[in-house]
Amino acid sequence: MKAFEYANPTNEKDAVAALRAGQAVALPLAGGMDLVARMKDYVTTPDRVVNVKNALDKTIVATPDGGLKIGAGVNIVDLADNAQVQKLYPAIVAAAGEVGTPQIRNHGTVGGNINQRPRCWYFRAEDFVCFKKGGNRCFSPAGENQYHAIFGNDGPSHIVHPSSLAVPFTAYGATFRVVGPNGERTVPASEFFTMPTLQNVRKENVLADDEILTHVMLPAPGNVKSGHYEVRYKESHDWPLAFATVVLTMNGSTIRAARVVLGAVAPTPWRSQDAEQALVGKTLNEATAVAAAEAAVKAAKPMSRNGYKVQITKTAVKRAIMQIAGLKPVQLRA
Amino acid sequence: MAKAQEGRGAPPPAPAGPSANARKYAWPAKPAVLSTRVKRLDGPDKVTGRAKYSFDINRPGMIYGKIVRSPYPHAKIVSVDLSAAKAAPGVRATLVWKDQPTAQALYQGDPVAAVAADTEEQAEDAARLVKVTYDVLEHVANVEQAMAGDAPKIFDSVVMNTVGNQRKGNVEQNGDIEAGFKAAAHIVEQTYSTHVITHVCMETHGCVCEWDGDKLTAWVTTQGVHGTKDGFAQGLKIPGANVRVITQYMGGGFGSKFGPDAQGLICARLAKEAGRPVKLFLDRKEEHLDTGNRPSAYAKIRAGVSADGKLTAFDATSWGTGGAGATSNFPLPYIYNFPNRRRAHIDVFINAGQQRAMRAPGHPQGCFLTEILMDELADRVRMDPVQFRIQNLPTAAASRKWGDYFAQAAKAFGWEKRHATGDPRPGPIKNGFGCSAHQWGGGGRGGRAHVDITSDGSVVMKVGTQDLGTGTRTLVAMLTAETFGLPVGAVTPEIGDTNYPVCGASGGSTTAASISPAIRIASGIARDQLFAKVAPQLGTTADNLVAENGRINVKGSSKGMAWKEACRLLGAEPISVDGQWEDGLSSTGTSGVQFTEVDVDIETGIVKVKRILTMQDCGLIVSRLTAESQVYGGIVGSLNFALFEDRILDRVTGQMVNPNMESYLLAGLSDIPKIDVMLVDTPEQRDRGVIGIGEPPTVSTASAIANAIRNATGATVRSLPLHPHRILQAIEEQKAGGTL
Repeated sequence: MKAFEYANPTNEKDAVAALRAGQAVALPLAGGMDLVARMKDYVTTPDRVVNVKNALDKTIVATPDGGLKIGAGVNIVDLADNAQVQKLYPAIVAAAGEVGTPQIRNHGTVGGNINQRPRCWYFRAEDFVCFKKGGNRCFSPAGENQYHAIFGNDGPSHIVHPSSLAVPFTAYGATFRVVGPNGERTVPASEFFTMPTLQNVRKENVLADDEILTHVMLPAPGNVKSGHYEVRYKESHDWPLAFATVVLTMNGSTIRAARVVLGAVAPTPWRSQDAEQALVGKTLNEATAVAAAEAAVKAAKPMSRNGYKVQITKTAVKRAIMQIAGLKPVQLRA
Repeated sequence: MAKAQEGRGAPPPAPAGPSANARKYAWPAKPAVLSTRVKRLDGPDKVTGRAKYSFDINRPGMIYGKIVRSPYPHAKIVSVDLSAAKAAPGVRATLVWKDQPTAQALYQGDPVAAVAADTEEQAEDAARLVKVTYDVLEHVANVEQAMAGDAPKIFDSVVMNTVGNQRKGNVEQNGDIEAGFKAAAHIVEQTYSTHVITHVCMETHGCVCEWDGDKLTAWVTTQGVHGTKDGFAQGLKIPGANVRVITQYMGGGFGSKFGPDAQGLICARLAKEAGRPVKLFLDRKEEHLDTGNRPSAYAKIRAGVSADGKLTAFDATSWGTGGAGATSNFPLPYIYNFPNRRRAHIDVFINAGQQRAMRAPGHPQGCFLTEILMDELADRVRMDPVQFRIQNLPTAAASRKWGDYFAQAAKAFGWEKRHATGDPRPGPIKNGFGCSAHQWGGGGRGGRAHVDITSDGSVVMKVGTQDLGTGTRTLVAMLTAETFGLPVGAVTPEIGDTNYPVCGASGGSTTAASISPAIRIASGIARDQLFAKVAPQLGTTADNLVAENGRINVKGSSKGMAWKEACRLLGAEPISVDGQWEDGLSSTGTSGVQFTEVDVDIETGIVKVKRILTMQDCGLIVSRLTAESQVYGGIVGSLNFALFEDRILDRVTGQMVNPNMESYLLAGLSDIPKIDVMLVDTPEQRDRGVIGIGEPPTVSTASAIANAIRNATGATVRSLPLHPHRILQAIEEQKAGGTL
């Protein structure tokens, strides 16, 4: 990898200062699960690496309104093992437990999972100088797009957002606390991730170069039931082909409100209002699940080689809802 | 054809009968060590890291080499400017590999130049400073592009006998094809295909080279130390006597590590120029691009079956690519008896790294293409697939026992519980069974061995073979211990060094069958020499002695002496004996069958392999534990071929999109099911002598998995890998009435 300067701040203020590198490129490092691999492959060549692990909060605490405040430095394994998260936000636990491998969950952080760069193989290989690396094209439309987007495909980039945690965070209505040179701000998860435009295609979210995400704030869940279903090609260490988090507010057996967020299908966590509309006011049962699943993929626009992801997405939505309905979950893997 | 494909594994000519030594030192009827379960002698060294692989070798003053490679799949090398690299920190040597004025890069990753520097990082940095000017040329990235009417004719002048990017092979023909189709009650006409995968050796290719004057020592990760020594001598134009190659431990080769390769010669030249030892091992990307692969295989097949389920005719055009200038041929049809058949093959060349032998070269492809067809034909005549296969086995293959194995393994597997094609039970998870058969040559040739017994009782067996990871070191000790009546731990096996007697490369499942006779004969002669020393002391003759339980005993009496005591009689005259492979202790030709059970989620196209069972012969089993390990490894490799591995080249740029271990998928532990291994251990197999088992187990698994998916879903997937998109597509086509 390219030689770099290393900064090791111990508080948020110093971390932000270290990221202000003028003409040079400075990047934050937490668990290193993503950045180090990109640096080794010359995909990313920062002049300065700022270790933010010692500047980030590593705790999960209850908030007065009945929600949780999760430090961005919390390891993914600790998120999955947290009793309060398990009680209040089971879809987060389901997503966290499936991230990467045990080694990655032990070392990777909540903030890193949210801010990791796309797994798109064109982005990850040095040879392809795509929009995201300062080039002037996306290779996927004419190329090998079997793992690319089926929603939000207007370009210029056709990546799928890589974060598993971002999807349930969005579904539960989380906000992110962000710290920068001008102090802090909060951004709803639903507004944090950005669709690609020619101007911002080198980023996947609203973070400025000298800002860091410090906390995930989860509101009190209220009277909700949630389901989460991921479909993977391999059972061991693989990214999902498509997945869904569904959060339903119930009134008896009737669905009063619904949040359906899809993962690995679009450049951002993808909220499906079509599916939500198909759920609200309906009785929670298999027929409702099937109808919502159909609605979820109604507007899908697959590329040349990823039409199969429509069927998989549909299945993920249906099964996430059936999970909530307490119907026997489909279990391929023993 | 099959012989040509087996390449390095070609069996020897028909035996003239056992030699005198083979008769004298025939395998024991009741072995003490052979066929037992002996743990790998080097297992503890491997798991603790004490074992030094070639990758682990570090020499005093050693520096690091790095190769500069073409990023383009096809380009003319206009110029190579080394000046900036030479001036970079730590750089001690540079070279231009493609130094001909007309030099071209024919694939992404084709080596162009190289540097050596004090640290790995400096070498990497300096390599990036080498300024290569390319004239980028048109390329073809896949067989469709290469075969298109308007394709650029890239290989016309590059590969012999090529028209455009294609080379037509001879037509293989037998029987009367028209009569065969006339006799058919049903005809299946379909196109089948398999894809390109790479070897993915855990230890990447490379070596450490050190010169002492004009003598080269190279620690290489290789499947053939002696062949690699010859490769260095020829490539560097130095006498073979000046080269020593060492491979103590290696992390996988699978057919891709038979010589020094470009990186070996580059390493040696850099070391010469720098006047220091150089380490040059490839990174994972280079490994995927430039160290070989299994060629793709396609066939458009028309096949007929009679109303009573007899195969009548087979007519196929096949093609495939072995990359930039290498063949892609494979056996077709595989195993089953089509009395009337015709087949023509076309090699298609594309701008990608060349294929190399890969574990049972050709057979997994031919097996898949034929075995899927067999299940389709069986359904046409509504026959059980096992019965259908048994009644269509070749008659002229006496040593192949597929019929027996199908019957026994089907019973052990619970095949009677198989439902007809298409799991009738409700719900999205469908269960299915599949089967497949395979064969391989194996057999031995020309191995040599040298044994020393010294007066302190030490036994050292030196064999210039190498251990690919199959357990050869343990085999050497077991074979020696058997003959001397010693515990395995009493023997010191020495392998993996060209200072030891010449042995062939470890390819074609030939290692065990090549070295076992040589070791048996060398140790048999040595034992007889020891008997001659001992006999007078025991008041008997040599032919009346037996070596057993760590003693030399008089046959049928309690009289004798301990091994060490006997060896003390040698005094200053140690026993030192050479032996070599002789006919009569090894054989060739193995057969096996496999069964699999899968669950398929028809709403996602995801497959879970539930269990695999195999019945496999290999003649006399030398080491039962490592023989079983070979079977496990072969099956896991084929499961990866079936489901996960795929070398994907971008169709536009011709560059590989997944040259890593993240998106080049391989099964993890949770993707691998229970595997039951039934090794055939009968008097008949023991009488055949040693054969070899490295390759056959990796032939059938992919076919058996695909057939199980077909049995589960009722939909036929005719192309590998069995990716969810293919499975969902086949299910859709089947719903539309298109597939059965």
